[in-house]
Amino acid sequence: MKNVFVLAEHRKQHLRDTTWEALAAGRKAAAELGADLTCILLGSNTDGMAEILSKECGKVLVADDPGFETFNSEAFMKALPAILKDRGPFLLVMGNSNSVLDLAPGLSVVLDAALATDCFGLEVVDGKVTATRQMYSYKVNTTVSFKNADRIVLTLRAGAFPYTLSGAESGAREKVASPLGDGVLRKRFVGFVEAEQGDVDVASADIIVSIGRGIGDEPDMDVFQSLADSMGGVLACSRPIVDKNFLPKYHQVGTSGVEVKPKVYLALGISGAFQHVGGIKGSPLIVAVNKDARAPIFRVAQYGIVADVYDVVPALEEKIKELKG
Amino acid sequence: MDIIVCLKWTPDTSEADLAIAGGKDIKKDDLDYDLNEWDRFAIEEAVQIKEKAGGKVTVVSVAPEEAEEMLRESLARGADEAFHVWDETFEGSDGFATARILANFIKERPCDLVLTGTLADDDCAGQLGGMLAAMLDIPSATLVSKIELADGKIRFNRELEGGLYESVEMDLPGLLAVATGLNEPRFVSIRAVRKVANMEIPVLELSDVGLEASQVGAEGSRIAVETMSLPPEGEGAEILTGSAEEAAARLAGILKEKGGIA
Repeated sequence: MKNVFVLAEHRKQHLRDTTWEALAAGRKAAAELGADLTCILLGSNTDGMAEILSKECGKVLVADDPGFETFNSEAFMKALPAILKDRGPFLLVMGNSNSVLDLAPGLSVVLDAALATDCFGLEVVDGKVTATRQMYSYKVNTTVSFKNADRIVLTLRAGAFPYTLSGAESGAREKVASPLGDGVLRKRFVGFVEAEQGDVDVASADIIVSIGRGIGDEPDMDVFQSLADSMGGVLACSRPIVDKNFLPKYHQVGTSGVEVKPKVYLALGISGAFQHVGGIKGSPLIVAVNKDARAPIFRVAQYGIVADVYDVVPALEEKIKELKG
Repeated sequence: MDIIVCLKWTPDTSEADLAIAGGKDIKKDDLDYDLNEWDRFAIEEAVQIKEKAGGKVTVVSVAPEEAEEMLRESLARGADEAFHVWDETFEGSDGFATARILANFIKERPCDLVLTGTLADDDCAGQLGGMLAAMLDIPSATLVSKIELADGKIRFNRELEGGLYESVEMDLPGLLAVATGLNEPRFVSIRAVRKVANMEIPVLELSDVGLEASQVGAEGSRIAVETMSLPPEGEGAEILTGSAEEAAARLAGILKEKGGIA
């Protein structure tokens, strides 16, 4: 392996934290492979972002084009093969963000590379790269290898590769001409649509009762609202509850919903897919009730009850009322 | 507006007790299989677009024989035709090899729009739509909701992080991998099921999609599973045991102590 490339991700002219996580993973892999580490920044008016990047990475490739401003996957898919063409074998890493979800699969095809998405482990054994990810409702760990070791694209799970910014590098910046050409794209960014605001602010709540798929298809919502009321908390939920219109979107906790930092997070019937868990990392106490003992939520919770939520919740509310006197 | 919807036949593992078989996959004999949940929203979206704009909805799946019930249910949901693509040599295909099979199927059947779900709960990879679009050389997007048609183009929202969306316009033909929750999949009536009971669902094999055995299955795949394992037990939460009453009582005490009761 000759090169480890890290793709910088940005939004609204700011580098996103996924960039630093990818860089941490890329640095580890480059050291173990004895490969060169290079950050790639495709953006518009890139000077500010390039300067920050060059303080963290010894080499930065920069291409500047208005077509890169909004992280349009089509523009990136056009440009990256041209930029990587004459640089030899590579491992390309990037964060597994919602923007990258649009980019990585198609990019792997046009680069003629193998792809593994949402990896939380990256190992080099005898010069061979393996990646570890989850399958089957995020309940099983799978380590995969790559048939063609010379072209690999990996996307990395948020939070799996911790980083600290050092500011210690003074990386060489290589400007490359934008390969976008006339810039005509078949997919065009129109604008951002901001989050809908509601009457409940889950993000600032200290006590959260959160419900998930395990409450069933015809849930008795009053049971959960009543529990939340008795605790002096608010009601939140995971994605399936919003999909089924049981609660509005602004109640949704997770990476695509609201990130929360309550003192106590009580998860009822929530399996704990990483998109959800990504939104509750800041909670000092997570408690889960789920009838599946193997549910991933029990790996992040401090306390758990393995039971049907409807068997536990009324009893819990009663005990809470007793304690309050 | 002719639409092809790609469906995946997946084991329901969300509440099942899983076991590893042979170190490289889970034991699947006792699992229930069904249409991938994300894809149910894709079928509904296709049928709703057809109801507004006319055209034809075709569903297709690369899946073993048992998956016929899923294809038939899709006809009952409003699809006009279904194709069942299966060959023993497809066994062990990764996302790339599966996308190659579907790409060859679609190349023979020009359409305006290809729909898929963004993710599937079995491989949790989210890769098929983007790979397929690249193979077909059409634009694509994932996590899509609020789809609207206008002047031969399509406009939609894409989900970003923290409740933020981006509004995007795309030329057709194109591929959209939809998000869950973008519509409410309809209830399938017994009458609708009866109506499609005798519809023919053609089965296509390896040669029917113009591929060779070396291009599919494990041989045609780009990644290989080295090991599969269940995370070790005993990591994580302290489990409160006893009856629901007893566990609830202990939990109430813990909540009170940690500031969980205001």
